[in-house]
Amino acid sequence: MSIRLKSTVSCYAIVLPSLVLLTIFVYFPVFWAFFNSLFEFEIGAASRFVGLANYSEYLTQDPTTLLSLTNMLVLTLLAVTMRLTFPLVVARLIYALPQERWRYIYRIVFLVPIVVPGVAVQLIWAGMIYSDFGLLNELLRGLGLSHWARGWLADPQTALVSIALVGFPFVGGFEVLIYYAGFSAIPESVNEAAALDGCTGLQKFFRIDIPMVLSQLKLILILTLIAGVQGFENIFILTRGGPGFETTVPGLWMYFNAFSFQRMGYACAIGVLLFVIIFGLTLLNMKYFKSSEELQGVR
Amino acid sequence: MLTHLRKYLPLGAFLLLSAWLLWPPAEEGQRADASAPRPDEAEYVIKFSPGWAYLPDTHPYGIGKPLQGLKKVIRAFEERFPDTRIELLTVPSVREYLVTQLGSGQAPDILNVNVENVWMDVQKGWYVPLDPFLERPNPFVVEQGDPARPGYQQWWDMFRYQAISRGKAAPDGYNYCLTFDMIETGIYYNKTLFARLGLEVPRDWEEFIAIMQKIREDRRPDGSGTVPLLVNIGAFNDWTTDLFFDQLYYDLLPGIDLLQDPTREPYLQGYLDWDELAFLRRKGFFSRQDPRYCQVWEKMSQLKQYTNENLMTDDLVREFVTGRGAMIWTVSSLSYRLQADRDLGFDWGVFYMPHFTRQTSPYASERPMCVIGGAATQLEITNSAVGDTDPALPMQERMARSERLKRVVSFLQFICLPEQNARIVNEYPGLLPNIVGVETLPILKPFEEILSRRYTTTKWIFTFDLRFSEIQQRMLELYLTDGIDLDGFLHWQEQNLDAACANMLQRKEPDMERLEKRWRELAPRRTTMRDLPTEGRQL
Repeated sequence: MSIRLKSTVSCYAIVLPSLVLLTIFVYFPVFWAFFNSLFEFEIGAASRFVGLANYSEYLTQDPTTLLSLTNMLVLTLLAVTMRLTFPLVVARLIYALPQERWRYIYRIVFLVPIVVPGVAVQLIWAGMIYSDFGLLNELLRGLGLSHWARGWLADPQTALVSIALVGFPFVGGFEVLIYYAGFSAIPESVNEAAALDGCTGLQKFFRIDIPMVLSQLKLILILTLIAGVQGFENIFILTRGGPGFETTVPGLWMYFNAFSFQRMGYACAIGVLLFVIIFGLTLLNMKYFKSSEELQGVR
Repeated sequence: MLTHLRKYLPLGAFLLLSAWLLWPPAEEGQRADASAPRPDEAEYVIKFSPGWAYLPDTHPYGIGKPLQGLKKVIRAFEERFPDTRIELLTVPSVREYLVTQLGSGQAPDILNVNVENVWMDVQKGWYVPLDPFLERPNPFVVEQGDPARPGYQQWWDMFRYQAISRGKAAPDGYNYCLTFDMIETGIYYNKTLFARLGLEVPRDWEEFIAIMQKIREDRRPDGSGTVPLLVNIGAFNDWTTDLFFDQLYYDLLPGIDLLQDPTREPYLQGYLDWDELAFLRRKGFFSRQDPRYCQVWEKMSQLKQYTNENLMTDDLVREFVTGRGAMIWTVSSLSYRLQADRDLGFDWGVFYMPHFTRQTSPYASERPMCVIGGAATQLEITNSAVGDTDPALPMQERMARSERLKRVVSFLQFICLPEQNARIVNEYPGLLPNIVGVETLPILKPFEEILSRRYTTTKWIFTFDLRFSEIQQRMLELYLTDGIDLDGFLHWQEQNLDAACANMLQRKEPDMERLEKRWRELAPRRTTMRDLPTEGRQL
């Protein structure tokens, strides 16, 4: 056996266990979910083949479908808008600090919130900020605006927006670090050239900096889209999708159908549809949103 | 080396001292437990999830000494049966957990779950019917040799609230639940505030609305108001629905109660089961064409005008004890908290939801509001108890063959003995005993009268599947918070009810012909009843 072949075989051998585990724990459940979506079954009871009836029911009969998809769209768009702007500005401001010592301190300050579990963050917002006698309502009462005080998460007019605003001002940790890494990777020669050409301030930010961090923007965009489509934990904690279905998203309805209503096949059908949506969005993103490297390659 | 040791010695000593100071003291019960047989020495290890009310070493509501009653009873049982060890577990009461545990045969042998949640799964063989045991004598009573003692003839006779206990039978006719104790709801009110405003306990719905109006108009010196009634969405969805339904449909029961279950009817007169509700829905009931059904929700909306705005608030008690609410509708265990609260700046009392009058609704029966509380700790034996038999066998055969099940049942029989039951239930005034011969603690006496009333006509949110309950609660909340009007709500509710009925009919395949025949037989009785829905519909 040649050295090249040996090397190739050993490489595959090293990768194989991971591939097997990936297949068992990631790919197999996906196919299993699709298979189960063709059945009506619940835990402990016999299953019955129903073909595409679960898909048909969800898309044409389920009264929550349109509401939940709309909610998902609104929340995802808001999340994309916020995560592509606020952290980017903060990262740029930190990058602009003249001393590395201060840049380090600010990075730490913005990194610390990452260690707080997401569930705790949601509970803090529900209990301390949005509750009847929470920070927000007490602030309004203090300002003489008690008629504006309300159950922010229980009021149908404000529940969805309140959920979208959890985490305000959206500058905690992850995204800031990613963008900061992008700014740090801009070659010094580019900055110097821009300075020589008199390109500074906002002009530099929009014409030099943002194009140079497009890879990071693309990554955050994809992650935010995926989280927006499949995520429901925060909504489950804050409102359980209520009042009514005002804050329900498809992922949450999938969870309820699977584990509360025991409609496993139906839940699998919703899961498969979410997978299709995410897959489609990712493909669109990859096709039409070019990173800085890809743009350079095109030119 | 020595230098290092010297450097870190004070730090180590400080840490050790801190750990010693912060170490939790051993509870009395924990020390007593040291002599209990270890699980690996016991032939039968029975896993028991009693819920939170009696969990040893806990302080209900953070009050009093740690509970020891259940632990003492368990020790007494283990001394009686040295080959048995009772292992207490706390399990999440969420259905998601139970379904997976029961499906895999891993659940505790004895669970504490609302039996209505059990009904959905009884056909899967996850639970053991208790009727064969309840209909036989309790051996622990028999050995005491007094034939006059309840339990000597039948274990059933030991239960004080027969209607509620026997009424827990599942729609398949079997009883899967041991009703260990009782809970009831009541409206706790601020007596001091009532006295200041010159208010009396209301005798009917009109008076109730009038006093709530007065409370709402009252302003404290700082200009703030008081919420007349504190209540959450769960109470609206569960208690209020059943109470108002009973008030408005009671007079119709002679014409619409189609089936009289021979086992349950003597205790639950006129109870409407799921198949009757599904049949009545087919006849146009429970729709926008049914004026009584519309009024159930209209009256609820009327009540909402006097409650806290946010129905999802999770700590209404805080609002009550701080005087921000004049009344709170909650369960009887609040008495214990209020009694122990030394900082409470007012006197309090309890009354029950007052009844509707003909002024409230032309359909009001004018009978007192019925019981909607009832069983608190509901103990079920799971398929784990027959784990020593072949799972492929039918449940009846597994029950006959299982030695382990006998011991599990013995334990339940043992904790029903009055002397043992009192040690558990009356350790603190949280719940009311359901065993004859065990006195209710004085502070809970007001609830004895409520529990002696007629049981509810039906339990809406427990009758159908969980999807029905979930959607009803969500849309009711939206309706009550003005996110949707009555017509919109009823549109959802009709769809929801139709889906739930269709699901039930598909799963259980009831004999609808029998119901149709009975419906025709009762036609003469309905001729005197007014405003019945006329539009028939097929599910």
